Amino acid sequence: MKILVPTKRVPDTDQKIKVSSDGTGVQTNTLPFIINPFDAIALEEALRIQEGASDEVEVITVGIGNDEYEKELRAGLAMGADRAIHVSTDELLDPWNVSKVLKVIVEKEAPDLVLMGKQAVDDDSNQAGQFLAAQLDWPQATFISKIELADSKANVERETDLGIEKLSLNLPAVITADLRLNEPRYASLPNIMKAKKKPIDSIPLTDLGIEIEPKIEIISVEAPSSIRSCKKVETVDELLTLLRDEAKVL
Amino acid sequence: MILSQVEPLASEAQLLSREIFGNIPPSHKATFYGLATLAMLIFAWGIIRRVRIWRLGQPGLKIDWQQGLNRFCCEVLTQKVLLGRGLPSLAHVLLFSGFVVLFIGTILVAVEHILQDLQGLPNTQPVFHYGIYYAVYEVVLDTFGLAFIAGCLLFAYRRAFEPGNIERKDLDWLVLLTFAVIGVTGYFIEGARIIREATPQPGFSYVGLAFAHLIEWMGIRPDQIDGLHRGLWWFHAFISLSAIAVMPFTRLLHVFAGSLNWLMVPKEMGVLQPISIEEIEETGQMGVARLQDWSWQRLLQLDACVSCGRCEDACPAHLAGKPLSPRDVVQDIKLHAEEVDRVTRRAKFLEKDLDEVLESASSLHVDTIQAETLWSCTTCNACVFVCPLGVNPLGYITDMRRNLIGEAELRGAPAQALQKMQRSGNPWGLPVGDRFEWAEGLDVPTVESNPDFDVLYWVGCAAAYDRRLRKVAQSIVKLLAHAGVSFAVLGEREKCTGESARRMGEEFLFQELAMENVETLNSHNVKKIVTHCPHCLNSFRQDYPQFDGHYEVVHHTAYLQELIEAGKLQVPSDAELQGKVTFHDPCYLARVQGETEAPRELLDSVANSPSARVEMENHSENTLCCGGGGGRMWFDDAPEERTGKARVQEALNTGAEQVAVSCPFCLIMMKDGVAAEGKDEEVKVLDVAEVLVGQTQPDPK
Repeated sequence: MKILVPTKRVPDTDQKIKVSSDGTGVQTNTLPFIINPFDAIALEEALRIQEGASDEVEVITVGIGNDEYEKELRAGLAMGADRAIHVSTDELLDPWNVSKVLKVIVEKEAPDLVLMGKQAVDDDSNQAGQFLAAQLDWPQATFISKIELADSKANVERETDLGIEKLSLNLPAVITADLRLNEPRYASLPNIMKAKKKPIDSIPLTDLGIEIEPKIEIISVEAPSSIRSCKKVETVDELLTLLRDEAKVL
Repeated sequence: MILSQVEPLASEAQLLSREIFGNIPPSHKATFYGLATLAMLIFAWGIIRRVRIWRLGQPGLKIDWQQGLNRFCCEVLTQKVLLGRGLPSLAHVLLFSGFVVLFIGTILVAVEHILQDLQGLPNTQPVFHYGIYYAVYEVVLDTFGLAFIAGCLLFAYRRAFEPGNIERKDLDWLVLLTFAVIGVTGYFIEGARIIREATPQPGFSYVGLAFAHLIEWMGIRPDQIDGLHRGLWWFHAFISLSAIAVMPFTRLLHVFAGSLNWLMVPKEMGVLQPISIEEIEETGQMGVARLQDWSWQRLLQLDACVSCGRCEDACPAHLAGKPLSPRDVVQDIKLHAEEVDRVTRRAKFLEKDLDEVLESASSLHVDTIQAETLWSCTTCNACVFVCPLGVNPLGYITDMRRNLIGEAELRGAPAQALQKMQRSGNPWGLPVGDRFEWAEGLDVPTVESNPDFDVLYWVGCAAAYDRRLRKVAQSIVKLLAHAGVSFAVLGEREKCTGESARRMGEEFLFQELAMENVETLNSHNVKKIVTHCPHCLNSFRQDYPQFDGHYEVVHHTAYLQELIEAGKLQVPSDAELQGKVTFHDPCYLARVQGETEAPRELLDSVANSPSARVEMENHSENTLCCGGGGGRMWFDDAPEERTGKARVQEALNTGAEQVAVSCPFCLIMMKDGVAAEGKDEEVKVLDVAEVLVGQTQPDPK
């Protein structure tokens, strides 16, 4: 069995984000980067499937980005992935183009399962997984908090606003991970050292033979207002009045 | 009637002494020696089969015998290690002293007998066993014989009526019975001998004399004495030899393993040995994965444990119902060691591949010790502190934790804390740029603005980032400024000491942080550090010297007390602490570093009356952990499962309105614990520095 885990490199969620001077993105030069937490959860799940399986399971991570991406790909290998594929480009791709790149990789690797985060925490698009499934014409399950594999089927639990939805998918499929799927492991030095010997296959984006067609244009990026005024109210009625008359949200 | 024939100093010719092997014919003596050899052989076999287990381990630590002997004499021979527990302590001191003195007495008699034989003297003509020496010998041995029997009786009483937490085995009854019988038959023989030999001045053997009277009272006729004496002697000899033979097979193994342990392994608290990257490259593993990864001394230490349960009683995690008992950790590993030994021998015998055979045996991790057990430990060192045999249960835990980290077995919040320490230099993962925010508006000198500082104030992550704890840092800098101390802080350049990472087993994250901090500190020529975090304190004192960081490190309570004594920090005469206050000792300050006085003196200096400060049930070195050490700070526990629950209850039981602490972890744990009990309105949790600043009200500089 083969599991493909696409990951995204995102700014460390603990850091303060500042808007870049040209107003089209965030300042990245001093920011530490991490694997998108939802992708880390997807990778952890792939590794747990690997550890629990009776037959051999290969876990491959994929990353799309510049040369600095290697550090985060190594972090994924340190967690336990067998090898990594790096699609190198300096361009920032929107979800549609990401799914196009991933489609080529999937066709090349022919995995039984694509496991990825439900969304990346930088732009919160929540689209790449869905686009990929559509392009591949594979079944998909999003916001998954539980996965059980049996007889080329995936039985999953999906978190929705109405409750837990139970689905059964035929493999191959695209599954996107939600927060409660698992808690990712902590990779320490011996793992990091082992990861140094694992292969990273680097492919220039231009070699994939696809045309990048941007679907999203960023007009401007603004930091949310940091001025917040607080008011303590005594009664619920007072609160309702304020919400209705002042905030005008009711 | 017989005794009346024995007149004191009846004649000058009669030497004040006794016969050795009196009434024992040469043929009996030969049989005795045969049995003694057999007993020694069984004894040796018993020891060898334990040594075989020890040899499963790695070549051990370098041994400092001189220090070891010093430790042994000061701690073990004086029995200092086990005092303070009432009846069990008394029972052990009695049995121990009786055993040692009777043992030495027997050796002396044997030496005398060998000298007699060498000089061809008859057993009525002693070499040195006569006169005043003999008189003292008799009094001493008779006295300690009583101690020996009393020890047995007290132990029997304890076992029957006040068993405490000690592990109970039927074999223990047999050992106690055997010992008691040896003692009592010894006196009977002495009594019979006094009658038989008409020993001069029998009063020196006062207990024996009493037994002589007893024999007389029992109506034994003079012609029966020889037979009775010989019969008793054989009974006594047989039981004694049997006792020697079975010693290594019973709890008494601790006599040897425990002594060796005290001689070879220093009892250290708060010390961890570094691992090198080369080691990891070579073995591909971190910490202890298999029993055989431990040094042979660590395996010997398993045999020192008598399962007395003191560590279990002292363990805060055990008290809180966590799946951890230090005693069980040691005892379970001991059983596992025995299994590994059996399997290893079988593999050798059947000429099978050892690794393959070991696969089928139970594993150290999971089968023997579960990860949950290892993570329950707060590394408070209570188990190490209370163990009378110098066993270090915590050492097994931290060694195995290192392996869990190496194998990426840690998940969830604590794993994230480690990741955050790595990325942001603090366990909360807060931005480096916010590290100095706590000092806003206080004009706190930095190493840049005051490069010629005398002391560096090490703030620590908790006080730098946590909103509640920032008040502690602010109080300390106010006090330091008030006292006119030339100090500085590192500001944003300070990083987590890595203390909790090291205690969690993440050695290399710790080393990375330690080396960075040492570089920063050395580049600013730091000589003296004041810190209010006992974990940072211990790390600077015991971890950092391993990485070239050598500093004089003082806890803020000790430093503030120094300032008051030197008259630099004045406590106003009208300082009056309202209400009662109790002080919670941090484990790493009180137990590990042995500092208990300064915080109390500081509190007393501002208290309105001597009775204002009250003590909790467990205090000073015997303090009970708040539950925040050893990385437990980063584990999410529901309030009812918190390790520090018992400690909070102890604090509330004192009725104090203020709980003074001197550790950031303790402050958070105690504050949250008091709030969970719904007492946060009535009971305030404060750092000692805050109590002080509230009373001295120094102007912010």
